[in-house]
Amino acid sequence: MIAHQVSIFLENKPGRLEKVTSVLKETGINIRAMTLSTSSAGWGILNLLVDRPETACKKLSEAGHPAVLREIVVVRMQDRSGALHDMLSLLALAGLNVQNAYGTVLGDNKTAILVIDVEDTEHVQQIFDSAGVQALTSKEVYGL
Amino acid sequence: MYWKPEIEILPQQQLRVLQAQRLQDTLSRAVNSPFYGKLFQKHGIGPETVKSVDDIRRLPFTTKEDLRNNFPYGFLTVPKQGAIRLHCSSGTTGNPTVIFHDNHDLSSWADLVARSLYCAGLRDTDVFQNICGYGLFTGGLGFQYGAERLGALVIPAAAGNTRRQIKLMQDFGTTAIHTIPSYLFRLHGAFQDLGLDPRRDTSLKLFVIGAEPHTDAQRRRIEELFGVKAFNSYGLSEMNGPGVAFECQYQNGLHVWEDAFLTEIIDPDTLQPVPDGEEGELVFTTLDRHAMPLLRYRTRDLTRFLPGDCPCGRTHRRLARISGRSDDMFIIKGCNVFPMQIEKVLMRFAEVGTDYVIELETFDGNDELTVKVELQKEWFTGDIEALEKLSRQIAHEVRDEILVTPAIRLVEPGSLPRSEGKAVRVIDSRKS
Repeated sequence: MIAHQVSIFLENKPGRLEKVTSVLKETGINIRAMTLSTSSAGWGILNLLVDRPETACKKLSEAGHPAVLREIVVVRMQDRSGALHDMLSLLALAGLNVQNAYGTVLGDNKTAILVIDVEDTEHVQQIFDSAGVQALTSKEVYGL
Repeated sequence: MYWKPEIEILPQQQLRVLQAQRLQDTLSRAVNSPFYGKLFQKHGIGPETVKSVDDIRRLPFTTKEDLRNNFPYGFLTVPKQGAIRLHCSSGTTGNPTVIFHDNHDLSSWADLVARSLYCAGLRDTDVFQNICGYGLFTGGLGFQYGAERLGALVIPAAAGNTRRQIKLMQDFGTTAIHTIPSYLFRLHGAFQDLGLDPRRDTSLKLFVIGAEPHTDAQRRRIEELFGVKAFNSYGLSEMNGPGVAFECQYQNGLHVWEDAFLTEIIDPDTLQPVPDGEEGELVFTTLDRHAMPLLRYRTRDLTRFLPGDCPCGRTHRRLARISGRSDDMFIIKGCNVFPMQIEKVLMRFAEVGTDYVIELETFDGNDELTVKVELQKEWFTGDIEALEKLSRQIAHEVRDEILVTPAIRLVEPGSLPRSEGKAVRVIDSRKS
């Protein structure tokens, strides 16, 4: 099962992010990781890795936010210098351009995860597979 | 002192007689156009209906809508072959408004512009740099022919390329410039970037500014920055273009050329004349146009007549600076824009819905147009590039329509006022 993140369109204005987090708080959604990409034209896209992406997306949408589920590939890395570089080298070697990626360190302080958001998630899966890197299942991602 | 003293200082009473004669002549030409021919028949009107200029009130108004509905030849009084030039409005949605001129019209227009420029102080020893769009925009060819008629050396510099404009000024010793007021602020910035002071490093002594609303404070600022007197020009393409009303050396209102334009000021709601000196909508009847006369044309521009005589001796009455519009048109970078034009473009993009707000602001002396539109939920894919591409496409299509490139700002759905009722669609916070 492919994992999903929630992507939300936001105006770049005070209080907008807070509106989103308040919906998630009310719904009891736990956020694992996030990135915010802003365009120069006054808006941005918030990407959230959460425990229940489908519920989060539905609730946000009901609250009026443009929100969608986007496929992601999540891999586990060691929390050490050079680990991210090794992962990205695999993708670069395969000629793949990463549109958006982010990571977070897990509670054990030994491992980290890398979240990759690309159009063709299957291709990324294959690259990691052939390099012997195991991508996380959706269940694993949501249970982090 | 005057370009055409026999007209410019003609006593008001005689001016009224001249107007009545020309009005009759105009009516007898207008009846030859399909539009007025039908209209006159319907209302039982003819040249004999009008004995004095006050009888003009017995004629119905002509509107921009009429021009559009009778596009392209419905107002022509002569066969198409008789016309030698046309100017039309920008835009691709619906019919533009088009004005045709024959030989007589172009010559009389050039003379009105020459008279206007002379009135502001331009002489045949001047070097006149015309910094505005040529082509369909009437400010280009209008001032070109007028300044040539006056005998000045004219540089048809057209718009843009500020460095080159400065070089032309230096190479040829430009003494006078016509442009839109907002451009002069940009021009001044460019002088500063080059380490030049226009007060010291140019021969400039006269500016003619118009085609864009501006305040007296802005004019004074321009005069201060350049050490040059700036004169206000008023015109509209339906009345040829420039050369309708102009400031003289006293800069105390714009003399409207009453031998060429019968001028009324009406209440835009009741359509009745306002008491003398009160503000209302300008209405013009052409008195010296052959190919395409217009009768009681509603300009939608708001102004009033200024009381008293002008020390310059010209008898033609003076109009106050235009204070606004009786419709929702606005002017930016010299282009006339109706919100409806932008709305029609937005309707082609299902991604952004139909609610919008147009914001007009001044940044660093430049006027900018921003269109805010709501991103529709169902079209959002989470792809930042797709949204940027969408913004570029909308900006491109709006530009094709209004000739000004807008900034497109996507906002969250539901955050703009709904389209029902009288939502405020244009927020103009330009520095005044």
